[in-house]
Amino acid sequence: MTINIDRRKFLMGSTALAAAGAMGGLSPAQAADVHLRLYWWGGQARADRTNAVSDLYAKANPGFTYDKEFNAFNDYWPKLGTQVAGGNAPDVFQMDYRYIVEYANRGAVQALDDFVGKSLNLDDFDKDQIEGGKVGGKLYAISLGANSVALMVNTNAFQAAGVDLPTRDWSYDDYKANAEKLSSKGGMKILADGSGNEPALENWLRQRGKALYTADGKIGWTADDLIEWFKMWADLRAAGVCVGPDDQALDATAAIDTTMITLGKAATTYANSNQLIGFQAVNKNTLTMINFPRAKAGAGGGHYRKPSQFWSVNPKSALVEEAVKYVSFFVNDVPSGLVLGVERGIPCAKHVRDALAPTLSAPDQLSLNFVSNLGDLLGALPPSPPAAAGEVSTQLTTKSQEVAFGQSSPEDAGAAFAKEAQDILDRAAKKS
Amino acid sequence: MTARAASDERAVPARAVTPSYWSRIWTENGPGYLFLLPWFIGFFGLTIAPILSSLYLSFTNFDMLTAPQWVGMDNYVRMFTHDPKFSQSMRVTLLFVAFSVPLKLSFALGVALLLNRGMKGLPIYRAVFYLPSLLGASVAIAVLWRTLFAGDGLVNKGLAVFGIVGPAWISNPRFSLWTLIALAVWQFGSPMIIFLAGLRQIPQDLYEAASLDGANKWRIFWKVTLPLLTPVVFFNAIIQTIEGFKSFTPAFIISGGTGNPVNSTLFYTLYLYQEAFSFFRMGYASALAWVLLAIVAVFTGVSFLTSRFWVHYDS
Repeated sequence: MTINIDRRKFLMGSTALAAAGAMGGLSPAQAADVHLRLYWWGGQARADRTNAVSDLYAKANPGFTYDKEFNAFNDYWPKLGTQVAGGNAPDVFQMDYRYIVEYANRGAVQALDDFVGKSLNLDDFDKDQIEGGKVGGKLYAISLGANSVALMVNTNAFQAAGVDLPTRDWSYDDYKANAEKLSSKGGMKILADGSGNEPALENWLRQRGKALYTADGKIGWTADDLIEWFKMWADLRAAGVCVGPDDQALDATAAIDTTMITLGKAATTYANSNQLIGFQAVNKNTLTMINFPRAKAGAGGGHYRKPSQFWSVNPKSALVEEAVKYVSFFVNDVPSGLVLGVERGIPCAKHVRDALAPTLSAPDQLSLNFVSNLGDLLGALPPSPPAAAGEVSTQLTTKSQEVAFGQSSPEDAGAAFAKEAQDILDRAAKKS
Repeated sequence: MTARAASDERAVPARAVTPSYWSRIWTENGPGYLFLLPWFIGFFGLTIAPILSSLYLSFTNFDMLTAPQWVGMDNYVRMFTHDPKFSQSMRVTLLFVAFSVPLKLSFALGVALLLNRGMKGLPIYRAVFYLPSLLGASVAIAVLWRTLFAGDGLVNKGLAVFGIVGPAWISNPRFSLWTLIALAVWQFGSPMIIFLAGLRQIPQDLYEAASLDGANKWRIFWKVTLPLLTPVVFFNAIIQTIEGFKSFTPAFIISGGTGNPVNSTLFYTLYLYQEAFSFFRMGYASALAWVLLAIVAVFTGVSFLTSRFWVHYDS
């Protein structure tokens, strides 16, 4: 690469020099000695990309060194929780939309508003992605990429059965209308059973003008909505539109390798737009993606551009300022953006996105275009979910299985779930 | 050493024998304790201290992010009055223990009796039968089990040969727990080895006397073998019951940590794990752990109390 000092690097360099000057007799290298601890969840591909960015940052900031650690999503949270409790959390750590309220309310993440425009550059950062990092009006986390829910589609299955690929206009009724033709060849169902899938439910609720949660962390739907939801799926199940309960239960954790599309049970599966690469890696058939089905023809607004994950800064860190600078570099530096690609979702800074777009491979392009061109499918970003949302989601899965296995009627399950969800939220609210 | 003795002397000047007593103890045992020190540090630091802090935490609402607050008996009250998942996990665990332990012990005893007939290559059979126990708690076996019993797994392919359409063993709530029980029974190796050792202890002259009196094999088993084996049965039953209550890995792996379908494999320990590490209710999870301890203690205690009515100690 040619020497290319842009405005930011120049500014950072001069900050370091200024700091060195302020320290008097110390040499610049010593003065700039900064050691950050970084922690995130994800696989090896993400680690390689993240480390490459840290190395770029070290090159631009002599004296910068870092410790890194990464974990699978499920292992990440217990460990982070333990470290926060022990007062030795990393300086910079990844944060999820699901947990941000909990961490912000407990003062475990640094409010970043005072740094914006100074060490934190958000000049051409997507507004909805900035909003996504806010809790109670204060900015606590910087989005590392936007994504959206998306339906993975096995194109070979559709072609083999002579069914046109689903379009953005397809509603659940359209999937139902094509189900028999698709299944006639090889017995694959056209849909996975989405009744226990929280994003599928949320998408459907939003198209009906409801929400999973309201801005003040209350439930945004009624028992009747859920009864109708469970009924719709009971109907789809009975008609052979979606996979049976025995098959759906194999997908216990929504890990890519146990989803219905990967197991060859269904021609589509509920997922996220940034997962196309991951799904394609373990699927022999050619995949594409499309929006979640419409609740009925013409209904829109179910999708939203979700911050796929954030960087947050530890307020107890001795190096808050330095940590913020690192985060700012991470989301703004163009060479870093090229290294990161769309692995964490679509970059939120426009100048990074513009530089990245022409370099992307076909599936990455698909991902970028999907998130950028949601059109009438796009609705407002819902408020960040309340602290106990994860538990409600788990309970939804169990409840949907009760209906699918015939242990409970849609009416009973819908009413019971409304009550259970409320109980879970109440219990969490009592705590804080 | 001398400093220690001297300070003891100062502390109790009235008793002249004391210093020499303590210094004698120290000279005799001191180095021993010194060598044991690493173990003591581990025992108190890594075992006793966490156990005691978990007892304290069980009376708090600790969530890992904020300091624990004292909530008194709330966790325990909730468990027994307002927690359907607690009763469900208890039901699943009791079913698991009630079926897996007797089945496993009978299986182990049966194989031990077969192996006790002095056949050729006994050490090889012993090793082969013991193998599953060594592997049993491992993640690899649970994954293997998951694959074997999947809807289109080897088990159903085998059944298909006989024209039987097997169910989805692990993803159907009617069969999932039984699949786990089968996995537990398959790991009969360690009780088998102990039974085998017990069988070797039974004096041969008793068998001779019984057969001279005209007892058939069945009668000999019930009247000689089993009564003399009861101490070993007792030992195995207690160990396996405790193991059963503690069982975690198979359910965790096979259900992907969820305890599903429909909470049918929600083992007590799995529920405890979810509360602690999925929902961060460390206080509640600690309370669950102490209730489990109490339950296991009650089961063991009752076994000991009743043992004198059926365990025959020959001495």
